[in-house]
Amino acid sequence: MKTILLLEDLPEIRAWMRKLVLQVFPGATISESARVHDAIELVSAVKFDLALIDLGLPDGSGVDVVTKLRDLQPEAQSVVVTIHDDDEHLFPALQAGAFGYILKEQARELITEQLQRISQGEPPLSPSIARRVMAYFSAKAKPASNANAIPAVNLTDRESEVLLRVAKGYTLPEIGVQLGLSRHTIADYVKQIYRKLNVSSRAEAALEAQRLGLFR
Amino acid sequence: MPLVMPSTAINLHTPATRHDHAPPAALQRAWALLWRGATLLLLGLLSSAAPAQTVYLDTAWRAPGAGPTFPATAPAQRVALPDEWARTRPDQRGPLWYRTELPPLRDDGAGDELYALFIEHVCSNLEVYLNGEKLHSGGRMSTPYTHNCNHPQLVALPSALLRKGGNVLDIRLVGHPLAEVGSRQRAGALSALVIGPQSELAARHARLTALQVWAPQAVSATLLLMGGFMFVLGFLNRRESHLAYFGALCVGWALVDGRLWLRSMPLGHSETEFLVLAMLGFITWAAVQFLLRYAGVRHRVADVGLPVQCALLSVSLVLAGAQRLHAVASVWYLLLAGEVLAAAAWHLHQQRPGHGRWLMAALLGAVSIAGAIEFAAQWTSGLPSMLTLASNVAQLLVPTIFVLVGLRLVQQHGRALQHAEQDKAVLEQRVREATVEIERNFRQMAELRVEQVTERERKRIAADLHDDLGAKLLTIVHTSDSERISTLAREALEEMRLSVRGLTGRPVRLADALGDWRAEVVSRLGQAGIEGDWSAPEDLPQTLSARAYVQTTRILREATSNIIKHSGATQCTVQAGITDNDFQFVVQDNGDGIASEIDGRLDRGHGLASMKNRAKQLQGQCLVESTPGHGTVIRLTVPLDRATQAS
Repeated sequence: MKTILLLEDLPEIRAWMRKLVLQVFPGATISESARVHDAIELVSAVKFDLALIDLGLPDGSGVDVVTKLRDLQPEAQSVVVTIHDDDEHLFPALQAGAFGYILKEQARELITEQLQRISQGEPPLSPSIARRVMAYFSAKAKPASNANAIPAVNLTDRESEVLLRVAKGYTLPEIGVQLGLSRHTIADYVKQIYRKLNVSSRAEAALEAQRLGLFR
Repeated sequence: MPLVMPSTAINLHTPATRHDHAPPAALQRAWALLWRGATLLLLGLLSSAAPAQTVYLDTAWRAPGAGPTFPATAPAQRVALPDEWARTRPDQRGPLWYRTELPPLRDDGAGDELYALFIEHVCSNLEVYLNGEKLHSGGRMSTPYTHNCNHPQLVALPSALLRKGGNVLDIRLVGHPLAEVGSRQRAGALSALVIGPQSELAARHARLTALQVWAPQAVSATLLLMGGFMFVLGFLNRRESHLAYFGALCVGWALVDGRLWLRSMPLGHSETEFLVLAMLGFITWAAVQFLLRYAGVRHRVADVGLPVQCALLSVSLVLAGAQRLHAVASVWYLLLAGEVLAAAAWHLHQQRPGHGRWLMAALLGAVSIAGAIEFAAQWTSGLPSMLTLASNVAQLLVPTIFVLVGLRLVQQHGRALQHAEQDKAVLEQRVREATVEIERNFRQMAELRVEQVTERERKRIAADLHDDLGAKLLTIVHTSDSERISTLAREALEEMRLSVRGLTGRPVRLADALGDWRAEVVSRLGQAGIEGDWSAPEDLPQTLSARAYVQTTRILREATSNIIKHSGATQCTVQAGITDNDFQFVVQDNGDGIASEIDGRLDRGHGLASMKNRAKQLQGQCLVESTPGHGTVIRLTVPLDRATQAS
């Protein structure tokens, strides 16, 4: 049985999501929250398997909840559910450790399918997100001027290949065919990429915090 | 906000004050020429050995006398010629008479041969009497005497006055004792008398005059002009003060040299001597300062001490009086020469080793030799002819050296000016470049700021829209019972996103856009069960404006929706490419095609109108070819120039 967190401020949407989640994961325990503050308290108290997190909330951004969940419960999967489709909003969420994202306005069937896929370990990756990730890692690949820099997390060649092809618009099955790998393997690569993104971003944040003197 | 600093640092440096170069070839050639000329002159003069007809009279009777004729009553003394008063009667002054008997000449009285008397050196002035008749007067015989010390005298002996029995030659000499003159060469003296044919003696006279009078005059004039010019140069340019001092040195030397050939002065003798000696002090001041400044050193001691020394010199001369002039002058000569030598030695020591140093050393050496010769002439008595000759050459040598050095200094100065000009031009160029760089950076910063403001605006608009409008539309999507209303609301939401993007978004690379489109089209077709085949060139370098990207996205979306909803196709091919300057999409499906209306136009209900409209807004076009049962081909052409410029 899954324990699921639902973070959404619009009540109608929240109700609808609840219905959807119960459809995909029958019998799951669902905790609802409408504010970041409440959600963080819940995350500290309850162990979750899955969290569906809205980004635009009245008292902050859902990214904070993603970060908190990653810190406290690394095994939990957080999925960002949002209106925004641009990488400006999605990328920070992915950096914070989101497992995947779902666009809210899609048809019910599509969302169901995507949710199922995510829970099966196949996070989505759009061309613009892929481009953003590539840019991020290529910027990291440049030699660090700071001698104290934590060694950068780099993508493997295969992972870079996958990213490149996604950026060109190929679907995951197509990439699997092109590289001679199964769809599942490709999905694993995407998961790895996201994980590395998260790790690298956290390392960066830690370094920045250290530099700013937040850590004693 | 990132700040872009100029990438090239402005490298400002002051131009070097002096550029020392190897002495130019011209200078070296002039030097060689000078030596050759001097040697030739020397040989020429030496070769003027007396031919057989000339007679040297080297003894005479000498008696003091102020009268107009050889004193009959005063005791006469037999003396040897050349006779130097400094040696033979050092303390006495006053005119002297010399009497000699002319030897029998070859053609006494008869024949066409004209004889002449040649006196090489006489100081200060003389009158020549032959057999009691006054033949020649050199000028004033009362003070101030005409100064003939450097002028050889040629007196023609008219045949009419020559008697067969014997001829008596009287010479009345006026001059100054050694004590009253500054330099030994200006003390009273009479050289040996030479009698011979006028033609030969005239040639000799001309040579010696040229050497002792004309040449120094020419060189002095040159020196004066050059000195004046250099003084002005140095005066105008305070950093090149050594030029001014050198100019002063040259002018002073030219003036002193004037003493050699100026025969009469408006001043009395002692005043003239005083002036000459005072000028020497001034010359020393100029010389020492020049040597110091040329090496780039300003010495407070020198700046103050040298003028003081000049004053001291004048005072000491005045105090010494007219009678002790020579003694005081000799002391000062030594002192001044010592100072100049010391300054020269120090200057050579200061200079960097190299061509410049060797040149300076050679010049200073030559001047020292000349000085030594002068000193030798001062102290040795007897005036051996070699020494006289050497003394003459030395007298010419020093000013010539000054002229050459002056030319070199002017050349250096000119070079320095040229370099300064070049440096200034380089500096101006650099300033211009830096200005251009700064302007460019300003522009960049302004552009960046505009971009940032635009970005912020975009985010703000998007946030507002998403928060307010988006939330409401979303609620409609998920709470409406009507499928159609949900779909409409969904499409409205997507449209809203695109609109925000198109209004305020940044240009998109064509390669990226193709990736986005491919992902959307192929996945949507795949979800609808249609086999999608997409071919497009990779890595296209062009960019699309945000508006063009959004419009094209809408067109493609519309087209895909049509194919999914209405065509009943199982296969769809999309070809993208660049032709000329246009970007082209060809979408072909194997569906049912689109029915046409009665008047032949295609059914508008499939959103074709909006597609065409949108394409027209992009200055492109959207053509649809369709026949029922044979599928549909959509050709979308978007010109890239307009697409990239439209924003």
